[in-house]
Formats: sequence, C-alpha cells, structure tokens
Amino acid sequence: MNGMLLLPIVLPFLAGAAALLLGRRAGALGGPLAVVATAINLVVAIVLFRQGGEVTFVAPWATLGMEFSLRAYQFSNFIVLAAAGFGLLVSLYCVKFMCDRKHANQFYCYMLISLALVNGAVLANNLIAMLFFWEGLLGALFGIIAIGRPGAWKTATKAFVIVGISDLCMMLGIALTYHLAGTLTISKINLPLGGLGAVAMILMMIGAISKAGSMPFHSWIPDAALDAPLPFMAILPASLEKLLGIYFLARISLDMFQLSAESWISPLMMIIGAVTILLAVMMALVQKDYKRLLSYHAISQVGYMILGIGTCLPIGIVGGLFHMINHAMYKSCLFLTGGSVEKQAGTTDLAKLGGLARKMPITFGCFIVAAASISGVPPFNGFFSKELVYDAALERGILFYVAALLGSFFTAASFLKLGHAAFLDKGRNENAGVTEAPRSMLIPMVVIAALCVVFGVWNGLPLHNFIQPALAGSHFGQLNAHEIGDYSGMHGSRVLLIMTALSLLGALANHLWGAKVSGSGLGAADHIHHAPSLSWAYDRAAQRQFDPYDLVLKLLAVVSNILWRLDRANDWIYDRFTVGLTMTLSRGVRLAHGGNYAMYVLWAILAAAAVLVFLVKS
Amino acid sequence: MFALLILVPLAGLILMNLPIGAALKRLAFPLALALTVAQSLLIACPAGVAWLGGGTLDHYFNFSLGIDGLSRVLLLSVGIVVFTTLLVGRAMLVGPRRQFNFVSLMLLAMIGMNGTVMLSDLFSLYVFIEITSVSSFILIALTRGRDSLEGAFKYIILSAVATIMMLASVAVLLMVAGGTSFEVIAAALKNSPHSLIARIGMGAFVCALFIKGGLVPFHGWLPAAYSAAPAPVSIFLAGIATKASGIYALVRLATYVFPQSPAVNNVLMLVGAASIIIGAVAAVSQSDIKRLLAYSSISQVGYIILALGCGSPLAVAGAIFHLFNHAIFKSLLFVSSAAVEQRTGTTDMAQLGGLGSRMPVTSATSAIAALSTAGIPPLAGFWSKLIIIVALWQAGFHAYAVIAIGMSVLTLAYLLVMHRKVFFGNVGEALAQTREASWGLLVPAVVLAAITIGLGVAMPYVVNTFILPISRIL
Repeated sequence: MNGMLLLPIVLPFLAGAAALLLGRRAGALGGPLAVVATAINLVVAIVLFRQGGEVTFVAPWATLGMEFSLRAYQFSNFIVLAAAGFGLLVSLYCVKFMCDRKHANQFYCYMLISLALVNGAVLANNLIAMLFFWEGLLGALFGIIAIGRPGAWKTATKAFVIVGISDLCMMLGIALTYHLAGTLTISKINLPLGGLGAVAMILMMIGAISKAGSMPFHSWIPDAALDAPLPFMAILPASLEKLLGIYFLARISLDMFQLSAESWISPLMMIIGAVTILLAVMMALVQKDYKRLLSYHAISQVGYMILGIGTCLPIGIVGGLFHMINHAMYKSCLFLTGGSVEKQAGTTDLAKLGGLARKMPITFGCFIVAAASISGVPPFNGFFSKELVYDAALERGILFYVAALLGSFFTAASFLKLGHAAFLDKGRNENAGVTEAPRSMLIPMVVIAALCVVFGVWNGLPLHNFIQPALAGSHFGQLNAHEIGDYSGMHGSRVLLIMTALSLLGALANHLWGAKVSGSGLGAADHIHHAPSLSWAYDRAAQRQFDPYDLVLKLLAVVSNILWRLDRANDWIYDRFTVGLTMTLSRGVRLAHGGNYAMYVLWAILAAAAVLVFLVKS
Repeated sequence: MFALLILVPLAGLILMNLPIGAALKRLAFPLALALTVAQSLLIACPAGVAWLGGGTLDHYFNFSLGIDGLSRVLLLSVGIVVFTTLLVGRAMLVGPRRQFNFVSLMLLAMIGMNGTVMLSDLFSLYVFIEITSVSSFILIALTRGRDSLEGAFKYIILSAVATIMMLASVAVLLMVAGGTSFEVIAAALKNSPHSLIARIGMGAFVCALFIKGGLVPFHGWLPAAYSAAPAPVSIFLAGIATKASGIYALVRLATYVFPQSPAVNNVLMLVGAASIIIGAVAAVSQSDIKRLLAYSSISQVGYIILALGCGSPLAVAGAIFHLFNHAIFKSLLFVSSAAVEQRTGTTDMAQLGGLGSRMPVTSATSAIAALSTAGIPPLAGFWSKLIIIVALWQAGFHAYAVIAIGMSVLTLAYLLVMHRKVFFGNVGEALAQTREASWGLLVPAVVLAAITIGLGVAMPYVVNTFILPISRIL
C-alpha cells in the first residue's frame, strides 16, 4: 500500500499533462477532466487520511542521502486532504468560469501540476525531494500568472523573482541544515537553535513565509490578483500556498528545530506576523477593487498564522494552524464570490458595482458568511482561531495582542465597506441585467461557506481530528505534552471576548459614520484614507514607493548604471586602447620590414655575431 | 630498412627522369602520392615501424641511421604534408611539364627531409638540409614570375650565409671531436664543456638553423619566400620544409648532441620569444593572406623554440607535439588560402569577403585550423600550447609563460580577423559566382582538419602513446 503515496503526486500531474495536450478543446473538456482528476485525488486523500498511522515510501534516487522518500502521517495527510478538497471545489468552479477563455489548457495544466507539487512537497520526507517539488511550484506559478490578461508576464516575472529569491534562501537553509544535521531525512532532523542553527532556521523560514505570502515577500500578490485568471487566486495564494507555507513553517518550528519561547526567533516571528497583519490590512482598507482588496487580506491573514506559531505556546500554535485552514476556506470562498461578480457583472471595480445583493442572492449569502468569518464574528470559524491567537499573543506581550486586535478591527471595517459597496449600494444601470452565477460556480462557494459555519459551530471537529493531533505528534508537542489542553468550544477569557466584541462594534460604528459622511459604502473608509499623516503614507504606497521589489529594482538600476559605465571603460581598454597599441606596434614592425633586403641580411649577421659573443662570454 | 625512405624516392626520381618514354612520366604523380601515403601509414602504425626497423638492408649502405620517436613524428609530418602538397599542386599548377618538374622536385625534397630527420651525423645532416633547401629554391621559382624569382633569390642569399656558418661549424666541431657523428660530438663536448672553439662551433650551427627555420631576427627571407611561392609550394615550405630542416635539427642538436648549457638555452628562449612577439604583431596588420600566414608561421615556430629552450622534458615533448600540430594546421591554413586563390585569383583580403556561403567546406576547415593555431580547446593546438605553457611555468619562466599566453590571444585576433574578412560578411558582386574549391584541395583539407580534431579529442591516448615516451627518452 505504500506505493499509494505516489498517487496524489502522479495523478494530478498526469491529468495536468493531459490537459495541456487538449489544446483548444480544453475550454470544454479541461474542466471535466480536472474535476474527475481532483475528485479521484480527493478520494485517495480521504483513504490516506482514514488509514491513519505513519506510511512511508522510499525509493533510491541520487547519492549523498538524496533519496526519494515520502512520509504520510497525521499532519501531512491533513494538508493533502485539505488541498484535495480545495482542488476539487476550484476545479468545479472553473468548469464554467474558464470555458470560454484562451489558454484554458495551460491553466488546467498549471493548476493540476501545482496540486501535484504541493502534495509532493507536503509528503516529502527528504529535504532535497521537498525542494524539488517546492521549486517546481515556482514554474507553475509563473505560467499561471503569465497566461492572465495581456501584460501579465510582467507580474509573473515579479512573482518569479520574489519567490525565486526566497526559494534560494530555502535552498541555502536546506544546505546548512544538511551540514548541521548530517541527514536530509526530515523526520530525523531535530536541531538546537544556536548560531548556525538559527541561521538555517531563518533561511528556511524565509522560504516558508514567502510561500505563504507574508510581508515583505508579498508585493506580487496584489498585482497577480488583477492580472492572473481569478481561480488562480483562489487556488494558489489563498489556499494551496498558504497550506504549504504554513505547514512547512510549522514543521521547521515544531519538528526540525527546537524552537522555544526563550529563543530570539520567537519574537522575530511574532513581529513579522504583527507587522504583516497591520500593514496589509491598512492597505486592504483603502482598495477600490474587489480582487485587490481581497488579495491584501490574503497577506494580512498570514500574519495571524505566523504570530500564532511564533508565540511558541501550544494554544498559539493550535490557533495559527486552525487559522490556516479557516483562512484557506473563507478566503477561497471570498475569491470565488469575486469571480462570480467578475463573470456576471464584467468588472471588479467597486466604483462600478453596487446593488448586486438582490441579483446574486446566493453569492451575497456566501460573501456574508465568509466575510463574517474573516472578520472574526462568532460563531464562524475565523472567530475561534483568532481567539486562540489573541490568547497566546496576550500572554507573550500586550503589543502583539493590540496589533492583532487592531488588525481585526480594520478587517471588519474593510469587509463592511466591500459588502456595502459591491452588494448593497444603489445599483448602476449597467448592472441591471446581472443575474446569479451558474450552478457549478455556486456549489463550491456554498460548500465552502457551509464548512465555515461547521468549523465554527462544531470547532471541536477540526481541532480534535486535524490540528491537535498534528501538534501532539510533533517534537514540540511531545516535549510540551503536559501543557497541551483541549482548545475546542468557547475558549478564552471573558475579557478577550469583550475586547473582540468591542472592536467589531467599533468597526461597525466606524463604517456607519464613514458611510454617512461620504454618502456611499465605497467611501466609508475615506476618512481613514485621508487622515493626516496616513494619507501621506497611502499616497506613497499607491506610487509603489514601499514595494520591496520596486525598491530593489531601483537599486539595481543604479548598480547596473555604475556597472555599465565600468563596462564602457572596460570596452575602451579592449576595443580602443589594446587594439590601438597593437596596431601601432604592428605598423612599427611593418616599417622595419621596408623591403631593403640588405638590411635583413645585416640583421641576421649581426644577430649571429651577438649570439656568438654571448656564448663565448658566458 | 628505414633506408628505404631515402632509397625509394631516390630510385623513383632517377627512373622517372630517364629518357625511357612518356608512360612513366604520367605515372609519376600517382606513384609519388602512393609513396607519401605509404610513408604516413607505415610510420603511423607500430607494425609498420617494426617492419621498417627490421631487415638487413641498412647494413649495405653506410648511412648512420638513428630513428627514435622524434624522427618518427617528423617522418609522419613529412608524409602528410607532402601528400597535401602533391594534391594541391596537381590541382593548381598548369601544364604537364611544370607538374612533372614539381613532382620530381617534391621527391627530391622528400629525400632531403627524410634524410635530415633520420641520420645521426652532423655532416650528413648538413648535406640533407642543403638538398631540401636547393629543391625549395627551385620550387619557389617554379612559375618563374618576378615575385617568385625574387622570393627564391632572397632565400638563396640568406641560405648561403647559413651554409657558410654550418660548414664552418662542422669543420670546427670535427676539429674538436675528431668525428662528425652525433655520439662522437656529444661525447667530446661533454668532456670539454668550456672549450671556446667548441662554443663557437655550436653557436654558428644554431644561428645557421635559426636562418633555416626563419626565426626573428633571422627571418628576412621568410615572408617574401612564403608569399611569393606558388600556392602548393607555400604549403610545403610552411608546413614541413623549414621545420624538417631548421627546427628539427635545432631540437635534435639541443637535446641530444649539445650539452645542456644555460647559455644556449637562454639564446633559444630569447629568440623564440622574439619570434613569437614580432611574428604575431607583424601578422596583425597584414593585408595579404599568405603574408599573414607567413608571419603567423614565424610566431608559431617561436613557441617551439621557446619550449625547446626551456629544456625540461615536458617542454621538449610539448615542442615536438607543437611541431607536428604546426605542420598540420599551418598546412591546412595554406590549403585554404590556396583554395581562395584557386577560385578568386587573389589572396588580398581587401578584395575578398563573404566566401563562407560560397565555399562552405573551405571556410569550415579554415576555421578549425585557425582555432587550433590560436589554441582553442579541444583542438590539437590547444594541448600542445597548454603543455608548453605549463612546462614554462613549472620551470619558473613566468614571464615567458605570460608572453606565450598573451600572444596566443593575439594569434586568435589576427586569425579571426582574417577569417572574417575572407569568409564572413556579404559576398560582393565580383565574387558572387565563386564555387567551392576542387576535390584536390578539399580532400587534404578535410583530412588535415580531421587529424586536428581527432588528435585534440583523443589527447589522452596521444599523450600516453607518443608524448610521454618522447619525454621519457630525454
């Protein structure tokens, strides 16, 4: 049965290759193919999960400890299962969404291959095999963005460069880990965090959080939201990459390195998390485009997961992982609603939308559930995972808690604005003919929205089955077994609950006031946008002055200008100086060979005399 | 039976010139060609060498033969280059009478060269060098044009100087040693290393060979002779004639006969380095292909002499290997120039251009030869230059090694410029109708190019089978 571990990798891969071969027919046939492939994949994932226990598959590969080894256990099975679920739902959604698009064959190919690679990276038990799958995703990512609207290749290049650089860090981290641990088998690695160990951990962490889309490796995501085909956002940045990135972050934090609250890496992770939460949500608040607004939230929410894992407290880690799966659900649901709006109304520009609630009631319903989840409204799933993270953050420092709570406030505010602007405001005339999305697009949204409710109301279900066993199975969990409790049900102190309720009510009040002042839902956040000092920062951000990618590009332009000048000097030495010198010498030698033969004979005789004199003298 | 290599061409030369009918004269060319092929094949395969080494024929002639690895390399080069020369001559020389004379003279030159590289006697060496030179004089002037006569005349004048020095040297060394065989001279020079007169004898012979080999500043005759000679004769002169007489004799004397002395080595290295630099620098501004190649020849011979002066076994092995490679790639370059001359009637680069599209085979083989000359891996020229430079560095002659590397870059520069001017670019109207060269030129070109590539690729085999044995003997 061990060979079965290959199925989640091989099946989607073959299906992806087949989709590519479909060519133009992919618009009609690719969707069913992807649905069937992902459905089989889901069945395999369920079987694997139910089988339980630890299953390994090892095949010889290269030398030096690089073997092709896979390991399925509780945690990886859970991620594979989740990925399979999203894969199926998004495929179903694509059947209608992609049917009349160009490059549909490439889209399905990249999507299915991404799924295969994510499964491979999650199951891999050898760092080199993991890296192989991990880096492979980069290619699929580039391709899937590049086939978006015209000019998308620029965004694709940006994503490729950013993710590529962080993948390089990952590669260096792996090399360092191999050097320290003496083995590449992930399940055998458990390193202390001193000196080089910390460097290795940081390098691998950069790779992991970058895959998850955290700051400062985020800036391609909002661009991709506009340029790439929409289901891409739902499948990759919103779900698969988050799952993979946070999964790996958890693996390095809990298993491969002995991370503890005393280590300086723990506060570092929490700071990254807190900063990501706040900055990204502030950016989200002022966006005027449905997809772009969502994409900033995709960045912001990663902050909660990193913050949760960074606390190094069992409750925080459980919260972070729980938030990972919750986020994958509500965010992909949100993107899917965005896709429905785009498909039916033809735009995602909030200024042109409005009044869709009546025309697309099911989409609106799903939106409300998902938006409530992401804002942390009880009893939806996001509320429970955030409460766990709050609890841990408060224990580690009040500042982190405040940041997380502020993030929640702005999240709620921005979703109130989004919902108000897109669905409730008075409709425009162009939107008069908009109808509800087709059924195959509604089913995935409804299923995910229902899951958001299920995971919230019966939060013991995911916590008991997926998340707490994953933590308990790790090195960290075994070390701190006595501290791990049961976090299901209504957790957290009364103070926390009151604070959360106050922030949500505050967000509502803020929105109502803003909407009243500006006169529309779209302008509800304008008073924050134009607040003194904040507006300055927003203007700069809108001009991309804070985008690390653009900053580095500007720096590179300066460097390359300097190098270009050096190169000109170099060229001058080669093209002018050397050639000139050689030609001058050559002309001199030519002049000496003037054709006077007596002179030549004289040279020979004089030289012979000189040789004889030299020999006699010496 | 190595004497056969002298006796068979001699017998052929006598027979074909007897007044016994025209039929034999018509057979002269194929027979001469077969002879060169036979010589190359016999020398190239060990069984052939063993067969030549056996037999009792050598006892009946009073040749003092001394055949070793060095001689064999030269005999092989002689076979290959004369083969090439005969084919090109057949294709390019006009008139049966001129062709017949050409074949006769080539046979004579073959006798001279084979004798030079096989005999172990100083006076015999001189005699056979002169045989080679005399046939070269006439070959240069074969077409009796004004330039050819002038080139031949220049060669004769400086050769006369060389003859005087060689004869004087033989006389002096005979006086010192009481004999002229290499063994006797070597023993005598070893016993009296500080003899003033012996040094003068050695110096005179070395200077004479510098003239024969065309090294700076003894090279005055060389550019004129090479460029004025008919195309096949240029191949013969640059590929083997000056090498078998001048350079081979220098290698033989410096390593086997003369005692190792720093003074002689210094002279060799100085002259070698001067040749490398002046030859390369002068080649850069030439506008005529053959003249450029003539200067390039001076430069490449400089590498051989520089390595020889270095004196370490590895360096000498590198020198001998480069000698062979030079015979191959320089012959090939002159074959290309002959092909260009055959189809366009000129070797002036200003009038040429874009021939690559019209003469693809010539262009390709010429490029291979140019790259091999400049020392680009994996061609044969790369390895011999590498061995020379490594040997120089190991022996501590860092400045010379740097010169060798730097001038190698210049070599690449002038050869690429030549190739670009002749073969690249757009073909002009005047040359639009140019056809590929005839078979007589393409066959040797392809064979030589194959040898250059094959030697380079099969380098480990060549090193173990030929180079290391040579350096071990030393």
